[in-house]
Amino acid sequence: MRKVFSYLPTYKISVAVALSLMILELIVELMQPLLMAKIIDEGIVAEDMSVVIIWGGVLLGLSLVAFAAGIINSYFAANASQGVGHDIRRDLFQKVQAFSSRHFQTFTTPGLVTRMTNDVTQIQGVLFMLMRIALRAPLFIIGGIVMSFVVHPGLATILVLSVPILLLFLFWILTKGIVLFRKVQGKLDRMNTVLRENLSGIRLIKGFNRSEYEEERFQDVNKNLMNDNKKALWIMEVAMPVVMLGMNIVILIILWVGAIQLDTDMVKAGELVAIINYATKIMFTFSVFSFLIMHYSRGSASAARITAVLEEDTKAIHATDQALKPEVKGGISFVDVSFQYDADQRVLQHISFSAKPGVMIGILGETGSGKTTLLNLIPRLLEETEGDIYLDGYRMKDLDVEHVRNQISVVPQEAHLFSGSLIENIRWGKEGATKKEVISAAKDAQIHEFIKGLPDGYDTVLGQKGITFSGGQKQRLSIARALVRKPKILILDDSTSALDAHTEERLLTMLRRQNCTVFLVAQKISSIQNADQILLLHEGEVIGTGDHRSLLKENPYYQSVYQSQMEEDVS
Amino acid sequence: MKRDSKETNKTQHTLRRRHQGIGTKPPKVENMGVTLKRIWSYMAGEKRRFILILSIVVISSALSLLGPYLLGVAVDAIIADPVTDTLLVMAGILLGVYILHSVTSWLQNYWMIGISQNTVFAIRNHLFSHLQQLPLLFYQKRQQGELMSRLTNDIENISRTLNSAIIQFTTSILTITGTIGMMLWLSPLLTLLTLTIVPVMYFGMKWITKRTGRFFKEQQKHLGDMNGYVEEMFSGQQIVTMYSQEKRVIEEFSHKNQSLKEASYWAQTYSGFIPKLMNMLNNVSFGIIVGAGGLLALNGFITIGIIVTFTTYSRQFTRPLNDLANQYNMILSAVAGAERVFQILDEAGESAQDEKAVDIERIQGVIIFRAVDFSYEKDQPILQNVSFHAAQGETVALVGPTGAGKTTILSLLSRFYELEKGEILIDGKDIKTITRESLRKQMGVVLQDSILFHTTIRENIRYGRLDATDEEVEEVAKAAHAHDFITRLPEGYDTILDSDGKGISHGQRQLLSIARAMLADPALLILDEATSSIDTVTEMKITDALDKLMEGRTSFVIAHRLNTIRNADCILVLHEGRIIEKGNHHELLRRNGFYADLVHTQSGRTEVVNE
Repeated sequence: MRKVFSYLPTYKISVAVALSLMILELIVELMQPLLMAKIIDEGIVAEDMSVVIIWGGVLLGLSLVAFAAGIINSYFAANASQGVGHDIRRDLFQKVQAFSSRHFQTFTTPGLVTRMTNDVTQIQGVLFMLMRIALRAPLFIIGGIVMSFVVHPGLATILVLSVPILLLFLFWILTKGIVLFRKVQGKLDRMNTVLRENLSGIRLIKGFNRSEYEEERFQDVNKNLMNDNKKALWIMEVAMPVVMLGMNIVILIILWVGAIQLDTDMVKAGELVAIINYATKIMFTFSVFSFLIMHYSRGSASAARITAVLEEDTKAIHATDQALKPEVKGGISFVDVSFQYDADQRVLQHISFSAKPGVMIGILGETGSGKTTLLNLIPRLLEETEGDIYLDGYRMKDLDVEHVRNQISVVPQEAHLFSGSLIENIRWGKEGATKKEVISAAKDAQIHEFIKGLPDGYDTVLGQKGITFSGGQKQRLSIARALVRKPKILILDDSTSALDAHTEERLLTMLRRQNCTVFLVAQKISSIQNADQILLLHEGEVIGTGDHRSLLKENPYYQSVYQSQMEEDVS
Repeated sequence: MKRDSKETNKTQHTLRRRHQGIGTKPPKVENMGVTLKRIWSYMAGEKRRFILILSIVVISSALSLLGPYLLGVAVDAIIADPVTDTLLVMAGILLGVYILHSVTSWLQNYWMIGISQNTVFAIRNHLFSHLQQLPLLFYQKRQQGELMSRLTNDIENISRTLNSAIIQFTTSILTITGTIGMMLWLSPLLTLLTLTIVPVMYFGMKWITKRTGRFFKEQQKHLGDMNGYVEEMFSGQQIVTMYSQEKRVIEEFSHKNQSLKEASYWAQTYSGFIPKLMNMLNNVSFGIIVGAGGLLALNGFITIGIIVTFTTYSRQFTRPLNDLANQYNMILSAVAGAERVFQILDEAGESAQDEKAVDIERIQGVIIFRAVDFSYEKDQPILQNVSFHAAQGETVALVGPTGAGKTTILSLLSRFYELEKGEILIDGKDIKTITRESLRKQMGVVLQDSILFHTTIRENIRYGRLDATDEEVEEVAKAAHAHDFITRLPEGYDTILDSDGKGISHGQRQLLSIARAMLADPALLILDEATSSIDTVTEMKITDALDKLMEGRTSFVIAHRLNTIRNADCILVLHEGRIIEKGNHHELLRRNGFYADLVHTQSGRTEVVNE
């Protein structure tokens, strides 16, 4: 929650106004019983009509003042809480822009979206509440007690002694309740997991005849949930009746003591009524507490989730004061490069190779061998932990990041297109690219013919009803996007997997003609066998390098992969 | 006292309203009576207790009226003559009333929670076992997310409403009528003056909710808009970074963020008026009561005690008046949820079996399809005149474009659906004469999207045969080439898997599901091969494991890899629900038809035969 509060100073005027209006409201409310005492004692008991009329009018007038204060408070409190919400969303969004794929694994996209929406809304609610009722409740209790001292110190002592005890009891129960509710949430998640598994695995469950087993499993989690839920709800139900009973007894005691003192004229009737009225109002305030605490605990859970994102270490990419921006030709060399995330095992170990401008480098390796990590080092989405990477002989660390990235195009494994038209999507690669440039890129990516065949051509809007693209079409579109900026380095991370053989071949031939260095990851040897150099990656290390022929001759790993793939080739 | 728990509810409702958006239309309910009766039927053994609860609610509501009244009487007594025996009696009675009120209001909630949780437990169990009975078709027709929402949110809604809303709703009505009755009895004139705030309240609320409704709708729209944008940009964040588009994206986002802020600002501001309005009306009525009551008291029409009583009563009836609409809406939305839940319960289960159906023992695995027709809906045939024969131990590969009917054939074999025409024979027996359970016991399935459960690897494999020992589990894991990677995991066989598949790779998941099927040791195998690209080494392992699994078993494979297809004893090429070619690889190549076309145009590719 502390992080959230640190956003408040921007809106300090709104917060200050909201809080002072809240206090004004509070004062008015605290005045009421006092005025009532005046009306009773000086008006009714003294039989003075004018006192009743005047003070009755003052009471009504003050109510309106309080109302006006409350209404204006709403504007300022909303301004501050919405402002903070807006700022948190802004910072979250900017933070995520600096995330690496690793961060997306910990937080996941839906998780981040929930934080941006639900969690922020939750926090806005808590802030709004804080500026309106949360502070008010304790202040009212204190104020009420102070005011009753003003009215009659003797009777007020009873309140001073009893209210803290009841408050302590209330908090004790509520904290217990919150712990129990958290447990219930866990049980609920458990049950949802079983449900989800059953929905998605129904074919398997039916196939294996496991309905009875699943029913037992479900009844088990269901029963657990029911029992815990009962416990939590029951303990919460104890709180209010007990506190109310306590408070009512306090009122009785006040009445009893008051009656005795009334006889000896130590207290006036109006004063007694006023104190009882304060006690009743304090009692009403108690019930707000359980609501406040539940709400606040939910809010702080949201705040914690948001803070986790905001405080995530995004490891700013190394930057020097005089970052160089040389003309890029596209030569890349790795010198003893290693990479590891935090304290984890090394993902890449002692990688060394060099690629002259314009060559094609093929990369082959199992899932988890470090291919994608290696590729991410080149556009500096990640920074090597040891060793150095050189671009045309310049150390990458000495170069301007944006300048480097502008020379590189990356086509990731999963083709991701944005909503909008096809031409807009291709223009992502180069803002303000002319139609001619776009078409030429699309032609090179072997997708021009397809686009031309669409009723709306390049203006076809994605994500609309009826228009879906196959995996291969998406891949070619994202290749077109990569080509439109005429990169010096092109990185294809297994992004031709959904293409048929002919198209892939045409695409690869075209790539050879482009004036750029190409890094190509593929599952199939047929895709990379024409590369100038092939890197074999295994558990983060290069276990073989050379062209197709030499590897086939010397490298047993390459041979076995080749064997298994050729077996499947029918023709 | 009663009024206090009401205050809590009020604030909670404000919260809930904030989520739903004030001014949203009440949920649509088809048939309230029938649905309530159905919920009632789940209360089974607790009906008597439920009626008892309702009578306690009446008592506690009455006590909440009695408290303030007696307090007023006591005040009068004290003012008249501070030290009398009556005071002692009054105090005793008041104490009794307070204790009884606390006890009854606790008891009604305590019992109600017990009943409602038991009821929800029963509904959940019933629902779950019904889900197990439902035919596969049911699951195919529905989106998982939507089903999930019925199973969780809708039931949770019923639970919450049963917990509190019913008691609150009854209490509210009783308190409002009771309070007004008591006030009229004590002083009709002062009552009338107090009630003057009701119309103000009505119009005030109407003015506010009209605005909040509009702005909440707008807020929802902007929120949805931003949600979509954020989701798109986060999932494409890598692209954004690589093309250095951060500035543009942040710029676009800030516009959406700004408009969301504006809409929410008004929604929150206006909704903040509601408690203030209520507060003001309470204060005004307090002023009216004290002022006008004071005048009346001066003239001897009423006593000071009545003023004290009225100050409490006026709060006691405005609050529930404000809550009533929310409580009613809450009940309505729970009933609407219950209707959605009951809709699932009304779905017909798998069709009844033939009474004479018998259990079968271990089969040999000779399968014959004879002129099988099938359709989900009339006039839209899915399969037409499908006939083929598979001898024991043979592998049958199914090939054809999406929608050709490959999966349907396998589903018919498992009797997930009933045939329309023709027959299926297993070892010469018509499958209609065999019980579903014993039939499915003979089969093992390995599906494309390897379904794993959120439990240990060991238990996931054991799913194939529940009484398998740990040794047997490890044995099949070894045979399926899964043992190595499992033992490399820090927790080994006790590694707990996520159902969404984090932690182990796609290929490894497949190895586990192959091990699971091996453990089941079925006579018949049904395989839906994976299409997604798996790295070469893992793929070799999978191929080898599958070969082992298929050995000696009659297997049906929806095949994607040429390797499997080529080695199949029989390939069925399907097109629009018909078998258009049938034979082994070489025969089909020689025929130079559809299959040969597929193979030639895609030579060099290994995975596209079924695209």
